[in-house]
Amino acid sequence: MAAVEFDHISKSFGAVRALSEVTFAIERGSAHAIVGENGAGKSTLLKILAGTVRPDRGALRLDGRQVMLAGPREALARGVGLVHQEMLAFPNLSVAANVFAGRELMAAFGWLRDRAMRVRTRDLLARLGVPLSPETLVESLPVALRQIVQIARALALDCRTLALDEPTTSLTAGECDHLFGILEDLRRSGVTLIYVSHRLPEVFRLCDRITVLRDGRYVGTFERRSVDHDHVVQAMVGRSIPPRPKHERSADAARSLLRVERLSSAPCFDEVSLSVAAGEIVGLFGLVGSGRSELLETIVGLRRADRGRIEIDGRMVRIRSPRDAARAGIVLVPEDRQRQGLCFNLTVRHNLLLPLAEASRQWLVGRAERRTANALVDKWRIKAASIDVTPDALSGGNQQKVVVAKWLALAPRVLLLDEPTKGVDVGAKDELHAVIRAAAAGGAACLVVSSDLPEILALTDRIAVMREGRIRGELRAQDADEESVMRLAATSAGAAV
Amino acid sequence: MSKLWEIREVSTVAILVLEIAFFTLYLRPEGARTHPFFNAPNALLILKYSAIYGIAAIGAAIVIISGGVDLSPGAVIALAGVVAGQRFVQAQWSLTASILTGLAVGAAAGGLSALLVVLVRLPPFIATLGVMGIARGAAFIVTEGRYFDVSAHVPVDWRVAGLPLDWIAPTLMIGLALLFQLFMTRFQWGRAVFAVGGNATAALFSGVAIGTVQASVYVIAGVLAALSGVVLTVVQGQGKADLAMGYELDIIASAVVGGASLSGGRGSVVGAVLGTLIFGVLRNALPQIPGATFYDRLIVGLVVIGIVVMDQLFRRSEGYRP
Repeated sequence: MAAVEFDHISKSFGAVRALSEVTFAIERGSAHAIVGENGAGKSTLLKILAGTVRPDRGALRLDGRQVMLAGPREALARGVGLVHQEMLAFPNLSVAANVFAGRELMAAFGWLRDRAMRVRTRDLLARLGVPLSPETLVESLPVALRQIVQIARALALDCRTLALDEPTTSLTAGECDHLFGILEDLRRSGVTLIYVSHRLPEVFRLCDRITVLRDGRYVGTFERRSVDHDHVVQAMVGRSIPPRPKHERSADAARSLLRVERLSSAPCFDEVSLSVAAGEIVGLFGLVGSGRSELLETIVGLRRADRGRIEIDGRMVRIRSPRDAARAGIVLVPEDRQRQGLCFNLTVRHNLLLPLAEASRQWLVGRAERRTANALVDKWRIKAASIDVTPDALSGGNQQKVVVAKWLALAPRVLLLDEPTKGVDVGAKDELHAVIRAAAAGGAACLVVSSDLPEILALTDRIAVMREGRIRGELRAQDADEESVMRLAATSAGAAV
Repeated sequence: MSKLWEIREVSTVAILVLEIAFFTLYLRPEGARTHPFFNAPNALLILKYSAIYGIAAIGAAIVIISGGVDLSPGAVIALAGVVAGQRFVQAQWSLTASILTGLAVGAAAGGLSALLVVLVRLPPFIATLGVMGIARGAAFIVTEGRYFDVSAHVPVDWRVAGLPLDWIAPTLMIGLALLFQLFMTRFQWGRAVFAVGGNATAALFSGVAIGTVQASVYVIAGVLAALSGVVLTVVQGQGKADLAMGYELDIIASAVVGGASLSGGRGSVVGAVLGTLIFGVLRNALPQIPGATFYDRLIVGLVVIGIVVMDQLFRRSEGYRP
């Protein structure tokens, strides 16, 4: 009997088709992985399973019975628990309150049975091997423990199916091992695991079956024993990836355009020195929390440096805000386009021209605005019905192109990019890479932060690796491979949970 | 270009026209007597009294578009009115100097809100609630409970730039509405206000000086509220500390009815003024319906909810997702 069956599930968000006709089943008691690239539809599928998103078409069956989930509450009642990557915990409440949130144990008149909840929480945490007081506030816990609190919550509500969405993204190697130990125990006790990740080694370690999604479509389900790593990658990408030709250039390191010297900002990074030449693309790699994004934010004045200097063309610059930075020719394409990149109440045209108009101290809204915006849309091949629609009518990849294009409209001398291709599909990724290369070819100094190793290796000339707020090494891209970069980036000792 | 019916102000005008048509039909007189509602002097009366709300609503709409809210205009109206009145009547200053002093008081109140919101980082609701109390309190201190009779000092046939007294307030309201509509749509400053209200973080990243923009909207709102107060004092002929009690909510309601979203980033100055006219017509016409006097606040409340719900349904049908 299948624990979960997806039957021709389709879902669109605005113009973006997230899932189309996805059909497959997950056996009771198995550990089943769902893999795919960013934008393949994994998370949407999980949200449908958890009841937070309703499919446009198709049926969902749990234990053979067709269900229409009205919300997460109903999914929980039917034994499906979801552990989110961005956790929906209540940081201001205790562990016990989080475990029982929404399903509190109550006596008559809604009187809370606090002690009973504390005892059950303690038992559950002990079963998960985490000796943690149920009264601890969740906000005082590290991410890894918060995740375990979520798992405890699913167990407290007697979930027989546990879905995990990228649970290891922010965990250290040691924490991952601990989590896997717990998951393997759960599986032995009969819990069905649905594991969504783009980290294939984890998938091969934990799961029996692997379902591949690509661009919202079902590609296939494979037995772990019958496939290897490369096979799954090919299914994810839809083609075998030819090694990309490097753009060979002799970067003139002596003529560095951006130079950062012994820049420190406690507690995020310390004594960082770095230089980028005109026309050069430098990659900045590091795991989450290594201080990369904070370094970029400091360069454009979003946070204060404690010590150190920033030079453009050999002259020291004082930058107190992104406004100052833009006027000095430095722009940051931020990581989170929803939150930091776009104003969703403004049209694509207004979004595209905002930095240019602000940096040029323009008073009037320009007459040529429409022409300039159309030129940008054509130049960077942004697919939009018109320049007068709001960005939510665009696909993720095209939204991201708007974010990049609005900064390139300034013709910046220094281009800082934080995860420029996060959450966009393969095609848009290639196009964004082309855009960045074009900017570099035009003489901009580009510094790209990315957690996507293949991207860093393919795109950049030089790679600086950060770990725990310091630069741990620099590699020329042609000498680097995934292993050498990762060795610099990963913490040596697997920190215990 | 947007199609005519997609312009939000058009639907506000449509509501206003329907409303006027309704009262014209409902209140039509028997025989050949003049219409009690649909006549020129009454129209001027509606415009004159709406202008008190309307001038301040321009500022309120701008604050709301920037993602904030201003609870102080009622109190600032009273304070600016009594300060100008006191200077003019008691201190025997010239009218111009008295009015400028009133406006300066408004700028100071707006500046205080700006300081609290931008530098102290108080939520706008709290900051302007405090300023509301301070301004109202200051008005009572200035007057010591008395009121200033300005009308005795203003000649009946007094004109400003050739305009009779009754026409000043409506002219100011319409002129300022058009001026600020231009600022909001054709000037980079207005674009920045929309950007800050829609997504302050993205605006900051885009190089918008968000602190300056936020500060400017509160100062402008303060000055415009003060202008309302001065106009109220001159037009009504008296300055009193308990004038304009509770106006702030009517003013905010007007801006919202005119298309402003309290979550920021959307709205229109002209829409806000049209919103005050919708309420102005209601306040004028309802008392003329026998027995409706006790219902007028209730009807105003229903109208606010009705218009905003209609607006949302309309937007939802367009596939708008919050």
